[in-house]
Amino acid sequence: MMRLVALLLCVFAFACLAMAMARHQDTVFGGPLSVTRTRGLRVAGWGALLGALWLLVADQGWALGLVYYSGCTSVAAGIVYGALVGWERRLAAR
Amino acid sequence: MKPTRNAKPQGRGVRQSMSDLHTWAGLLAGWLLYAMFLTGTVSYFKDEISQWMRPEIAHQRVTPDPAAVAQRVTDTLGTVAAGSSEWFMQLPTTRSNVVDSFWRTPDWQPGKRAFQDATFDPSTGAKVVARDTLGGEFFYRFHFQFYYVSPIWGRWLAGLCAMFMLVAIIRGVITHKKIFVDFFTFRWGKGQRSWLDAHNALSVFGLPFHLMITYTGLVTLMMMYMPWGAHVALTTPAQQQALDRQVSAFLPPGERAGVKAPLAPVDAMVREAQARWGRDNVASVLVTNPGDTQARVVVSRGVSARVSTSPEYLLFDGASGKLLDVKDRVGAAAQTRGVLYALHMGRFGDLPLRWLYFIVSLAGTAMVGTGLVMWTVKRRQKLPDPERPHFGFRVVERLNIASIAGLSIAMTSFLWGNRLLPASLAGRADTEIRIYFVVWLATLLYALARPARRAWIELLWLAAALLALLPVLNALTTQRPFWRSVADGDWVFAGFDLMMWALAALHAALAVRSARHRPRANAADRRRAVALRHQEDA
Amino acid sequence: MSAGFERLRRAAPVTARIVGAVFGGYALGALASVAALALPISAPQAVITGMLASFVVYACAVIWMFLARSARRAWAGLLIAAAPLALAAWSAASAASAAGGLLP
Repeated sequence: MMRLVALLLCVFAFACLAMAMARHQDTVFGGPLSVTRTRGLRVAGWGALLGALWLLVADQGWALGLVYYSGCTSVAAGIVYGALVGWERRLAAR
Repeated sequence: MKPTRNAKPQGRGVRQSMSDLHTWAGLLAGWLLYAMFLTGTVSYFKDEISQWMRPEIAHQRVTPDPAAVAQRVTDTLGTVAAGSSEWFMQLPTTRSNVVDSFWRTPDWQPGKRAFQDATFDPSTGAKVVARDTLGGEFFYRFHFQFYYVSPIWGRWLAGLCAMFMLVAIIRGVITHKKIFVDFFTFRWGKGQRSWLDAHNALSVFGLPFHLMITYTGLVTLMMMYMPWGAHVALTTPAQQQALDRQVSAFLPPGERAGVKAPLAPVDAMVREAQARWGRDNVASVLVTNPGDTQARVVVSRGVSARVSTSPEYLLFDGASGKLLDVKDRVGAAAQTRGVLYALHMGRFGDLPLRWLYFIVSLAGTAMVGTGLVMWTVKRRQKLPDPERPHFGFRVVERLNIASIAGLSIAMTSFLWGNRLLPASLAGRADTEIRIYFVVWLATLLYALARPARRAWIELLWLAAALLALLPVLNALTTQRPFWRSVADGDWVFAGFDLMMWALAALHAALAVRSARHRPRANAADRRRAVALRHQEDA
Repeated sequence: MSAGFERLRRAAPVTARIVGAVFGGYALGALASVAALALPISAPQAVITGMLASFVVYACAVIWMFLARSARRAWAGLLIAAAPLALAAWSAASAASAAGGLLP
């Protein structure tokens, strides 16, 4: 259960971090976001990444926790990435 | 004619020469690395593959009590391996429903194999009654020592490839300084650029894993690759054994006393281990000098939930059954090695973690594969006439096809062979393996005979078909079709069938994509390709 | 004839780098693994430490061989890195032989 929550946190985190990038703001929102919003997204993103790490280490211990974290971040980054690709493709098709 | 001076490397820049290094290292090792990565990836489920390849053995709902199994197999080995100075047995786990065992050949002569092996049924202790097959072990061994070459040469070759990979990863990080900015950018479907982006994406996402898996892979065989420190420092057998005890529980047999004494009950020893570590956390039993008063029994701890392969065991007096020694720690460097080894094996985790390993490892395989394809695409655009590549290029292209699509076909054929070869065939296990290599060679010959693009499409479709039909073949040739496995709650067999269909879909998707991709080689595109190339190098 | 010779001359620096990387890098790693014996830890731990470090040393040596601005600098760097390692390795080896046993 904890591991699923951690994975979801990582997906959320990478989504925030991606949205804090100008290029993706253009894609998803049609234009740049305010500086405050961007900073907020970055804080949320990094915070969620740290939160996921804490969750996993608390649940599994340092050794297994770190290994799980490494896997979670890899997969989560891939998911967000794939979603962005899909979004851009849909836009290009329109 | 005035001799021309060669261009100094400074002009091309550090990053350019790094790019060349990556290209050359990658190509030379790429084909082997792809095979190593793919067979390594499936090896995370090698026990399940072995189960699937021995369908005669019923689905194991509950792991049999290791203590009882150990006693049964010990009794059998007393007959089967009589006269041997050392026996070893791997106890069944939730993933493995057989007891793999080996022992030193009694009265060994040089020229004979030093070890004999057999597979036992945990519920009877007798030799397993199932078709003779290497099972998932074949993919596992191929992964680090290949086949049809001596294991030593195979391991050296694998190590060399691993070094190339390590260098390529470090170089990749140095070159792509912009990678954390470029991280989430991707352009879809634009010829060479999108292959590069896919390659980069897979490389970046899996970076921690790839770096870890490559380095730890070298660590698993480091005693062979870098023996020099041991040669210099450990000159007596006692010193050598001091090192061995830090890394392995495979103790050599000591001096025999020459006095006969029956082996004390092994199940009692395993029960003591279970009391310490847990009922299902006993991995193996090693017996030295059985039947002698100097017999020793080593009961080793299981690997689950322990991120280390460092030896942890209980040492018993074989004749009296008394506990002589508890080994539960090793030195700091040895512990580091144990952790690195365990990280590579990935056996410590539960099922979700093993799936994570599998997925990220599969992505690594794709990373190597896209790298190989990208090299070909890039080189083709640099040719003076991309429609008529020179012979060397054509061979490289075909080797790509055989290494990637051909490997999928070969591995699936191995499984087809397992279902189709008659159980009574002599040397059946070797024949299964021979089928794998013959089919692989056949895919290369097929690719050489066809235009490259068609070969890709046709072979990918063939792989998809073979994968999709494997569960059908299974239903026709065994008593364990998909619906029965689901009804029985046998998720090893059911999951296997599902995986075959998923992989079939993947290959079909790749075939469809290859069919849609039409390389345009007119002058305008060549100019664009050149411009893109300069962009990348900038 | 001179064209062939020119091609050889042009290939010489790259070849030197490749040879240095593949073989020189391994030698440096091996040297590092023996130099680790000079560490103030027990012999088996030092042996293992040396092995673990050797691959990193090898990889770095390979990167260096292609990073350096010329083949000459590349080889010079290799030899400069080898010197302290060789010293440590030699002192560890003589300590080992003094402790007993035959030198290989």
